[in-house]
Amino acid sequence: MRWLKWFEFRGKSLFHISYSLHRLTGIVLVIYLVMHLSYLTSIRMGREVYEYFTSITLTPAFLIFDILLVLAGVYHGVNGLRLILHEFGLGYELRRPLLYLCYLLTLVLWLYASYQMYLFVMGV
Amino acid sequence: MDVIFRVRRFDGEKSYWSDFVIPAKKGMTVLEGLYYIKENYDGSLAFRASCRMGICGSCAVKINGRPVLACETQILHLNSTTIKIEPLDNFEVIKDLVTEFDGFFTKHEAVKPYLIRKEDRYSEPEELIQKPEQLYAYYKYSLCIKCGACYSVCPASSSRDDYLGPAAMTAAYRFIADSRDEGDGERMQIVCGDCGVWRCHFAAECSEVCPKKVEPAKAVQKLRFRSSIYMLKKFFIRW
Amino acid sequence: MRIRNDIVIVGAGLAGMRAAIAASEVSRDLSIAIVAKTYPIRCHSVCAEGGTAAVMREGDSFDLHAWDTVKGADFLADQDAVEFFVREMPKEILRLDNWGCPWSRTQDGKIAQRPFGGHSFDRTVFAADRTGFHEVHTLYERMLSYPNIVRFDEYFMTNLVIEDGEVKGLTAIELKTGDIILFEAKAVIIATGGAGRLFGFTTYSHQVTGDGLAVAYRAGVPLKDMEFFQFHPTGLIPSGILMTEACRGEGGYLRNSKGERFMEKYAPAKMELAPRDVVARSMWTEILEGRGLESPYGPYIALDLTHLGEERINERLPLIRDAAIKFAGVDPVEEPIPVRPVAHYTMGGIHTNMYCETPVRGLYAAGEAACVSIHGANRLGSNSTAECLVFGRVAGERAAEYALKKSYYPSTDFLKEEEKRINSLFREGEESAYEIKAELNRTMDENLWIFRNEDGMAEAVKKIRELKERYKNVSVADTSKKFNTDLTFALEVGFMLDLAEVVAIGALKRRESRGAHYRTDYPKRDDERWLKHTLAYYSKDGPIFEYLPVTITKWQPVERTY
Repeated sequence: MRWLKWFEFRGKSLFHISYSLHRLTGIVLVIYLVMHLSYLTSIRMGREVYEYFTSITLTPAFLIFDILLVLAGVYHGVNGLRLILHEFGLGYELRRPLLYLCYLLTLVLWLYASYQMYLFVMGV
Repeated sequence: MDVIFRVRRFDGEKSYWSDFVIPAKKGMTVLEGLYYIKENYDGSLAFRASCRMGICGSCAVKINGRPVLACETQILHLNSTTIKIEPLDNFEVIKDLVTEFDGFFTKHEAVKPYLIRKEDRYSEPEELIQKPEQLYAYYKYSLCIKCGACYSVCPASSSRDDYLGPAAMTAAYRFIADSRDEGDGERMQIVCGDCGVWRCHFAAECSEVCPKKVEPAKAVQKLRFRSSIYMLKKFFIRW
Repeated sequence: MRIRNDIVIVGAGLAGMRAAIAASEVSRDLSIAIVAKTYPIRCHSVCAEGGTAAVMREGDSFDLHAWDTVKGADFLADQDAVEFFVREMPKEILRLDNWGCPWSRTQDGKIAQRPFGGHSFDRTVFAADRTGFHEVHTLYERMLSYPNIVRFDEYFMTNLVIEDGEVKGLTAIELKTGDIILFEAKAVIIATGGAGRLFGFTTYSHQVTGDGLAVAYRAGVPLKDMEFFQFHPTGLIPSGILMTEACRGEGGYLRNSKGERFMEKYAPAKMELAPRDVVARSMWTEILEGRGLESPYGPYIALDLTHLGEERINERLPLIRDAAIKFAGVDPVEEPIPVRPVAHYTMGGIHTNMYCETPVRGLYAAGEAACVSIHGANRLGSNSTAECLVFGRVAGERAAEYALKKSYYPSTDFLKEEEKRINSLFREGEESAYEIKAELNRTMDENLWIFRNEDGMAEAVKKIRELKERYKNVSVADTSKKFNTDLTFALEVGFMLDLAEVVAIGALKRRESRGAHYRTDYPKRDDERWLKHTLAYYSKDGPIFEYLPVTITKWQPVERTY
């Protein structure tokens, strides 16, 4: 299948892998967006329905999904900013340092966000 | 030292692998290995080759998963006892390692890759002045040997057949950046179209594999910038 | 299958593409087909490195360029053609500039020129050290803008059709499908290049096997001066990749094992920038007398660029640096490059006059495949790309005018015969085309190299005749139709054997030394008996030789010293 070629990792540079991850996280975020919107609009069915959803999802068991989701979101955002810069024709010579910076920022922001979520869910 | 060349063959109907033992010496290139197979094992092995010095672009093949020029790759530098050789991706295979290149050249032709000047003085030409800085602004992009390696790794090219591809767009940028050229408008139309710059999302693999370090990813990004300006101008002028 | 055009050009190198453009400029109504066995930008012309000579600035003159060319040719060049050639050259450079060629520039933006071997003025126009590459791409891209030029890429020519003293077309194998196509045309231009792969140690691409030369020869067109093969002084060992003359033009030195610049002994005025045959002979003499440096690939001479500095090498000789690092593991900035004289150019070719016309009506030849002759017994550097441009244009214009005047399309039934002949190669035979080629290369390298003698050449003639007998039993193992490279290789070896016979017997008959043809048993130039061109005609029992006088207009032969 030709569209699967986006996700070929073997023998490809980190730039290409970042591109594939950008696509993957994009798909994940779109699916999440749909889920999140239906989750939020459930309030029109009444306060109890909404609070029922909240009681299931804002629990330590769901934390792992949230952490992964945040990873996807942070990566997509930071990488997206890098792509915006390059696609304006700027900074091509610095593309390697910028790529490493992107991954570093992703890691730092993700760890921070995960920690905050952990604190919130654990009720500290 | 003996290495095994595992070559992906295609006889018009089915694809299969053939193994050959090559006695590799220091300095022996993969292309010389392919000729060795042809002369000693199987004369029907089909591949393209000409200059053997990395300037004609005929011998681009995938070696151990990465597209390179076979004539420039030394067997012993690959550090592996089995060398997997396959034809380039995103091209239709005609036979063994020979792929269909007509489409690639048609795309190159589509961006009008020739100097366009308002006055075409054929019988009494005049010298055009171009300072060295102006030459260096585009010279790197004129080194493209049309080998097809960039096209082989481009994910946008694998998803859509009509995407112009890194090589064609580098050629377009090479002329747009040439101080002697006067045909910006014509080329921009083609490059800003449906299968042009907007399909590139900077996987930048093309720049990684280019054997001549032409940096097609840079050319495409610069072209994007010019395309945005062009489209904005067109929009406001129409207003 | 039959395809009909006004003009068919065989060979899509510099000369072929320039001819197509010129013909199209004469009239947009002509249908022009270019038939080539590879895509145009994969031609051997892309390997040209040094530059293209033209008279462009104050201080230079047409007479000076012509004199340099005639003296370099050891007075075997036809002087009327040379005078015509030098006057047409500057416009070609400017045309290429207008078509987008990235010529290297001086600080004030004008086209730069560099010194070159054998030229008395710095007149070689260049584009870094990839001149041929840029010229080919410029011509190819310009050719795309003409709607009446149709390309037939990857069609392997097998035969010319000449009937009733005029050319009718040619047959070619469409490599993609394996079908044999008959191209019928009013005019045919042959621009298929030289025959360098006759030799084992050569700068030529794998595809340069003298197809056009052999096909024309078999069809009755005479070949001229085939015994003159140029040996370029600096070929990288062991691959044979060209290290351009520009290395020496930019100031490089040649050193022997003692570290001396030995050219002082042989050409004290010009030193390393003497014409190529002089330098090649000097280098080979040094090697034979034991002053060559040793390596696992045989003796070599050192090409020393270390004193030029990294910046100059990166600006003027980038391809050389890249090739030396990649193919010999040597960085020219730090160490000298190992080089040895290498077979490089075919001065001989299809006999044409100054207007690219051959004795057959409607058949033209241009570029390295033709012998006008402007290079005579030795070609000056940067004159070959120049020749392709000028005579490519002339051939295109002449062919176009001929086609416009001709009222009918010739037709022929040649196709069936040709199909039978090709199919007969798929037989059960014991000989391998690859072995025959390897032995041919060995014979040519040993006996028809820089220093030739009677015994060696007679031995070569015998061996070539033996190989031709063996070739009659050659078998093609691959019986598939699509892209049968086994078949094309066997056909190429057949072409090369015919040409080798012409070269060897022509060299044996010429009892003198002139230019690139040097015999240890007749080391002097003999103007009384041998100031003439060799013409070879095909016959079943081997080539028949005739001789043609050289056209002299301004310059009588003098002693050739540098």
